[in-house]
This record gives sequence, structure tokens and C-alpha cells, in this order.
Amino acid sequence: MLSIKNLKASIEDGTQILKGINLEVKAGEVHAIMGPNGSGKSTLSKVIAGHPAYTVNEGSVTLEGHDLLQMEINERANSGLFISTQYPTEIPGVNNVEFLKMALNSKRAFLGQPEVNDDEFKKLIEEKMQLLEMDERYRDRGVNEGYSGGEKKRNEILQMAILDPKVSFLDETDSGLDIDALRIVAGGINHIMGPDKAVILVTHYQRLLDYVKPDFVHVLRHGKIILSGGPELALELEEKGYDWIEEK
Amino acid sequence: MDALARIKQIGMPRRNNELWTFFPVASIPAPEFPEACTSPENYDDENDFAALLPVACNARPMVQDIAENANEMAMLKCNSDFGHTVLNVGKNATASIEILDNKVTHEICAERFDIHVGENATVHIFFANPADPVPMRFRHFRITQAAGSKVYFSEIEQGNGIRRTSIDAFLEGPGAQLEVRALNILGGTDSVHHRLTIHHKAPETRSVQFARNLLGGTSRASYDGSVIVGDHCTKAFSSQLVNTILLSEDSSVSVKPVLKIYHDDVECTHGNTCGELDADQLFYLVSRGIPKEKAKELLTRAFARELFMVMEDSPAKKRLEQVVSAL
Repeated sequence: MLSIKNLKASIEDGTQILKGINLEVKAGEVHAIMGPNGSGKSTLSKVIAGHPAYTVNEGSVTLEGHDLLQMEINERANSGLFISTQYPTEIPGVNNVEFLKMALNSKRAFLGQPEVNDDEFKKLIEEKMQLLEMDERYRDRGVNEGYSGGEKKRNEILQMAILDPKVSFLDETDSGLDIDALRIVAGGINHIMGPDKAVILVTHYQRLLDYVKPDFVHVLRHGKIILSGGPELALELEEKGYDWIEEK
Repeated sequence: MDALARIKQIGMPRRNNELWTFFPVASIPAPEFPEACTSPENYDDENDFAALLPVACNARPMVQDIAENANEMAMLKCNSDFGHTVLNVGKNATASIEILDNKVTHEICAERFDIHVGENATVHIFFANPADPVPMRFRHFRITQAAGSKVYFSEIEQGNGIRRTSIDAFLEGPGAQLEVRALNILGGTDSVHHRLTIHHKAPETRSVQFARNLLGGTSRASYDGSVIVGDHCTKAFSSQLVNTILLSEDSSVSVKPVLKIYHDDVECTHGNTCGELDADQLFYLVSRGIPKEKAKELLTRAFARELFMVMEDSPAKKRLEQVVSAL
């Protein structure tokens, strides 16, 4: 489904951050990427999304065989890629619901589908907000404006639920969440996940993986995936940290 | 001295006159003055050419009185190049006044508004219509406010020539409040200029100036805002904030805050920001599938909308938001 081959990317001053990432994600799979701070996890998500601060030097990223790197940023999203960043941006003045509707209609236009009608959208958003136990305040506020860290993450999952992507790359979605919010957000991810979809979770902690069970766990360090394994690897990392991998 | 004599005394605006520092004075067409001024009023203390021009050109004064305790909505439209409106708002009255573009036949038009606001009265003054394509338009407001009165002045300028709004406000009674919100959305060769002087003349008076500019093409905006706080104005509050987004390489903005404060126990602030659309916000929207051009429009509209969002619900707010939504 998502295929990343030998992906190398650098920032403006030429410093290479990603140094040859290889990752194959099949439909129905949940992958967890772990690694110490500064290892390139967030960069990987931004490079896949097409963030202009990064230059791809080598490699390929395909989604269902389509070359993502040749697409505009919005085309990547509309093709089925969803990236949730570690620090969701606040956009005062842009109403959250208005934004969600515009995003959904952009995807529909890209796929040659008609715009969502008001009743259909109202029903959809009510259902997803209920799923994520979100109150009415989210409707009237600006996108992420004045939200707490946890509220922002919940709003990210709401967007994911509305846009129904094929592959979701969730960067530290568990940070800033209290215990109840973590359970709700994880429940949302599990609800959205299906046999024709895939999720990549970037996390530092096992606690999210207790709720969203990964099929594979990868360790990213110095811009490369240096170790992959099953769910037990996350438990081992929690216990031992990362240094033993390099020593190994 | 009448207005015509005063104009002859001070002469045409020049850049070395601090009231006209940023204005393209060379573009002002030479007015065709009448032989005599019909208004007997004394303008010895008036220094702004734009404030004198309509009176000097014998604009017929239109006087509108709003009675004490009344609640009125009105639209003002002047039917010639030069207009002079006198608005007297009685005690405890509430008024909502929308100014429509006047009928213009020449290269320049000028309007003067003398607004007297009684005790505890509340007045909304606003204009938001896309302007008629007149090369140059001056609007001057002289506002005097009694104790406890509130004036909310809001405008949206969308260019269509050279525009100048000038305000001389006198917060004469304790607790008088003035809020000025100005949004300029300019492109092409448009230029819009604001010149304000707010006199705090009593304790606990409050003035808020908030302007936002969205500038494309080779457009220019300027904001020259002075606040004068008198020596007995305990607990006076004044703020001035100008935010500009330059949508093109060749657009420009000039901002000049002037604070003259003659008392210690006051709070006065000013700020000015200038930049481009926020790259992170743009990326966020586009990464959700919204095409870049649409995302830019959304951010531009959001920047404009924020200016009026905090206003209390009123016909003015409704009208201003309507115009912003249609951008």
C-alpha cells in the first residue's frame, strides 16, 4: 500500500536528515515507529507529506503504486494520505467545521465526486464527534485555536475520521493526552482503521500501543530504520531504551 | 476664519506637513474653489486640509439629530462631490450609521462628519461597500464624546483609487470609549491612508485602534495614529495595533504611532507587524487536501475576519462580516 524505498532527504543547509529509509506498509497493518529524539521520525512524516522545508535527494514513496513525490501536497492528501503532525498548527479565523467541509469537498472534487450536501455533512460530523466524545465547542472555534495539546490531537483524529484516508501517519498523537483522552483517541483510530487501510504511529511510549496494537515496530535512528520487529520490540524498548541496539 | 480662508492660509498638503507624511500629495488635483465660503463657522484651529475642503467647497450641511434614549439605524449618502454631515446623538441613545459612497462627478471627493455623542450614548459608524471608482476620496471625522459614551468606528476599504480617512476624536467625558477597526484590502495601484488623533481628555477614557492590511500589486497603505493623554486622565487606556500581510513583492505599508502621555497612571500600547501569509498555516491546510490558491484565500479571509470577530453583535458587525465572507 505505502512503499518507501531508500528515502533520503535534507534540509535547506544541505544537512541530510533521512539517510535511506525503507518501509513497506500493507493494507490492514499498523506500524509503530519509535526512536530517540532527533532521529528523523517527524521529518519522515513531513517529507512524505511534501513539506517545502525538505528536499528529497533520493528514493521513492508510492501509495498504491502512485508516486507521491511527484504530486502536489494537496494531491497527496486527496490520494489517501493523512499526516498528523506533532504540533498541529493553530489557524485563528478559520472555522473548524468550515475547514473540515472544505477539505472533504476538495477530496471529493479530486476523486470526481459531487460536493457533500449540508445534511450529509452534518450527520457525518455529528457521528465522528460523538465517536471522539468531542463537545460543541469544537464547531465554532478556529482550527486548533486555543486548544489544549490534548484537544488538538483529538481534533486531528476528527479530521482523519472525516477524510477517511487510506494511510494515516500519526506523529506522537499520544503526547499531551490524559488517560481518558488517550483511550478515546485510540478508540477513534481503531474505529477508523480497517482491512483496506493502514496506520503508522510515531510514539515514544508503549501506552498508545496498548490500545492500538501494532503489527510491526521499527526503530528509527540517525535517519535510518535500524531494527524492525513485532509488538514485543516496543516492550523491550520501553525496558531497555535505545542504546543496546547500537551496541548490538 | 472660515474654511476657505483657512485653506488659503495653510496651502495645499505637502509631504513635510506631518498630517500628510505618507500621502501621495502630488496626486491631489487642484480643487475648484468657490469665490466665497457660505459657512460662517470658524476653522482657525483646523489644520487638516481634508477636513476643511468640503466646507470650503460649500458642501451643504446635513444635520441629523438623534433624540435622547432613541434607538436608530440610518444610512448616510451624500449626493455631490463634497459632503458635510453633522450628527448629534442625544444622551443614552443608540445609533447605527452606515455611510454609503457619495455620488461623484469629479476627480476628487471629500466628506466631513461632525459627530457629537451625548452621555452614555452608543454609536456604530461604519462603511464597507466597495468604493465607486473615484480617483481620490477624503473622509474626515471629528468626533466628540461625552461621559460614558461609546463609539465603534469600523471600515473596510477595498481600494479603487486613493483613499484617506482622518479622525480627530475628543474623549471629553470620563469613561468615554472609542474603538476604531479598519481593514484595507488593496491591489493594483490602490493606496489607502489613515491619519488619526485621539485626545484623551478625561479619566478612565479608553481608545482602541486595530487596523489590518492585505496588500497586493503595488498598493500602499499607511497608518499615522496619534494618541494624546492629558495630565489628569487617570486610568486612561489606549492601544494601537496594525497588522499587515504583504501579498506581493511591490506592496508596501508605513506605520507611525505617536503617543503623547502627560500622566503616569495610564496604560498605552502600540504594535505593528508585517509579513506574508503564515507558511505553517498554509502547509497545514494544503496537507488536508485543500488546493493552495483556495488555502490562501481561506487564510486571507481569516486574517480579515479576525478584526471584527470580537465585536459585539450589531448590524455593523453583521454587515462587515458579510463583506468579509464575500471576499
